[in-house]
Amino acid sequence: MGKVNIDSLRSLIESQTGCTCDVYPEIGNDDTLIIPPERLQGVVALLNDYFEGIHLSTITAQQRETRGNAIEVIYHFYQDSGFSLMITLPEQSPELASVVSIIPGADFYEREVAEMFGVKFTGRDETPPLLLPEDWDQGPPFIRKEDNDE
Amino acid sequence: MIEGYFYLLLFPGLVFQVICGLAFEWLDRKLLALFQRRVGPPWYQPLADMIKLFSKEDILPKGTNDLIASLLPLISLCSVLTAGLYVPIAGFSPYSFEGDLIVILFLMSVPTLAYYLAGIVSIGIYSVLGGGRSLLQYFSFEVPYLIALSGPAVMGGSWSVAGIMASQFTLGPFILFQPLGFILAIVGLIGKLKRDPLDIPSAKSEVVGGSLTEFTGLKIALWHLVMNVQAVVGIFLLINLYLGWTKLANPIIAIIVFIVEFLIITGMLSAASAVFARLRIDQLAGVGWKILVPLALAQLAFVILMGV
Amino acid sequence: MNKISIPIGPQHPLIKEPLSMKIDISGERVLGGSLRLGYVHRGIERLAQTRNYVKNVYLIERVCGICSHIHTTTYCHAVEALLDIIIPPRAYYLRALMCELERIHSHLLWLGILAKHVGLDTIFMHTWHDRELALDIMEEITGGRVLHGANQVGGVRFDLDKTHDAMIRSTVQKLKTQVEGLVDVIENEPALIARTKGVAPVSAEMIRKYCVVGPVARASGVDVDMRRDNPLPPYDQLEFSVVTHPDGDAWARTVVRAEETHESLNLCERILSDLPDGPVSTRVPRNVPAGEVIIRSEAPRGELFYYLRSDGTDKPARLKIRTPTIPALCLLPEQMSAIQVADIPVVMAGVDLCVACADR
Repeated sequence: MGKVNIDSLRSLIESQTGCTCDVYPEIGNDDTLIIPPERLQGVVALLNDYFEGIHLSTITAQQRETRGNAIEVIYHFYQDSGFSLMITLPEQSPELASVVSIIPGADFYEREVAEMFGVKFTGRDETPPLLLPEDWDQGPPFIRKEDNDE
Repeated sequence: MIEGYFYLLLFPGLVFQVICGLAFEWLDRKLLALFQRRVGPPWYQPLADMIKLFSKEDILPKGTNDLIASLLPLISLCSVLTAGLYVPIAGFSPYSFEGDLIVILFLMSVPTLAYYLAGIVSIGIYSVLGGGRSLLQYFSFEVPYLIALSGPAVMGGSWSVAGIMASQFTLGPFILFQPLGFILAIVGLIGKLKRDPLDIPSAKSEVVGGSLTEFTGLKIALWHLVMNVQAVVGIFLLINLYLGWTKLANPIIAIIVFIVEFLIITGMLSAASAVFARLRIDQLAGVGWKILVPLALAQLAFVILMGV
Repeated sequence: MNKISIPIGPQHPLIKEPLSMKIDISGERVLGGSLRLGYVHRGIERLAQTRNYVKNVYLIERVCGICSHIHTTTYCHAVEALLDIIIPPRAYYLRALMCELERIHSHLLWLGILAKHVGLDTIFMHTWHDRELALDIMEEITGGRVLHGANQVGGVRFDLDKTHDAMIRSTVQKLKTQVEGLVDVIENEPALIARTKGVAPVSAEMIRKYCVVGPVARASGVDVDMRRDNPLPPYDQLEFSVVTHPDGDAWARTVVRAEETHESLNLCERILSDLPDGPVSTRVPRNVPAGEVIIRSEAPRGELFYYLRSDGTDKPARLKIRTPTIPALCLLPEQMSAIQVADIPVVMAGVDLCVACADR
């Protein structure tokens, strides 16, 4: 398969799914594309078909004050070299389509992001909490705490 | 009268059996430790364990019938101690009678049944699983064990352990004629005792503690004692049935030979638990019925044909 | 028989770490299972945002009790990448030496646990005895058996001298003979083979679907190893072979891990002979320039993933840790069907759980 070329990847995604994606240059050693949230499922399905089963390293979620506290969800893939897809979600009621039907291994990653950041993954079964206690009622623990823990 | 109490309580009854049981446990643990490059426990460790367990709080899950749960280990202990009374020790057997082999084998089976009941009585998922497994194991191993043990009986022309022992004085030790039967009897004994590698009913990583998961304190101490005394009685039985040497004039030498034989069989049991992996329950039933039973039958047929 | 559900964990003799697994069984047949984590969730990712980069090394070391060194190594690589510095080559080699020793001790620990679960306590005792040799080396050179405190941003905190070199070489030799004996046992012991061969085999396709990494993937014939595919220094300078096996069952995993241990022992010797001279650390600034970095490394259990974002202060803005146990755990409920109750320990041991890693 060879190394993933970010430009060819970008043109592949753009031609096949018709979505516009931008290169995100900040992550130094991993090629990253920003894609719109509603396109995620299609892009992941495309990549999975194209590479005949793609390795998803993990899903990172984070909140950045410099971008209006938007929640960023980054899907880290690895196919001979690493590359990532970045999605930006609003802080209020973030929702994202689940990729569990395409990559079953995304299950625990999605559940972790859902519990820690309150991102609602649509299109998958309701699951009991994975990491948080069953009776946890204080909202996602990771969210918006940057300011008040010192 | 006083003689009777002496037999029952001291020798070859309660005290002797318990001491032998504890000695067996220590020996077994020490040997296993040596096989595994460990130091092993000091000689008083089994006794210390027992005293400690006696002093522990005795708790059972809610809803368990305490009376039955206490009676089960006691009944088992009584059974194996009674069985021990009939097994000659270095030729000494005050209560021997024709047919005592059957009684011993029956009494030795009581703990297995009690073990199963203990699993059912104490409410717990692992207990029930362990109890069911112990019955399955019982059915897989009891048959080859009994067939194997009937070999010496047929050859000796007696169903009394002392009689079988005596017949070996003229014929020679039966292990020479029935080495296969001896091995099968040892395998059957390991299965009966639920010892490693046939510890499927109490396999820690699968069913926690088996039937005894919910037992604590005094009761678990009694259960351990039952297992140890059962092992000792089983080993004594094997010595009598297979390793009766020509009549030894000197009783001291007879006792020494008896002790040496006891040590050798204990060593075999420890080595077996050190060397072999635990089988799966379906594999176990397969081994029991497809391998052990035909072998035991072949051994028995050989004995009968030899007698003809 | 009726369907009953047995709990494995959070306290169970099978797994020493708190993981809760509910397994549905009918008689001796396993129908399915589900699991949950979180009993040792310490919020390390969150905690890392409140401490500075230097303190975080010691926090990160406590992610895992077995593979503590690879975590700090990966973290330090991430910080050094953001700082854009190259540390002295000797430090890279010393880090790799510790990583390989850690792999040896982790694999031996695992082999012992598998042996214990199939009732082979003797092998358990012997492998753990051998594992002590690896721990002895680590204690000798860093001062810690499990938590080494060996790494710092910009290098390592220990150095080798001539006596260490001889000691490590002789211990590695000793370990090699032991591991060769162990491989012999694994390949020939009938009871062990009967208990592990053909138990819950996982196809390469399943491995890819569930994104499983490390020895579990390699035992199913998926040829991945971050040390070779995406090497951090000094692995790009070192030659070693990646062990794979096509079967995918518990036995294949055993073989793969045993042979990997052997390969790691070879690597230790190679590292010792290639070890460059020079300093072992360099001074680094406290503040890390803004930026984001992703580091993948090969922990004993597979691909370890770190994402680090700095906003220019002395504290990380976001640290994401993905440990190799998580995808393996994801696969575990899938394996819990068409097996027997007696196979549960073998299957659970087979994926080499590290719950502390998975919870973080």
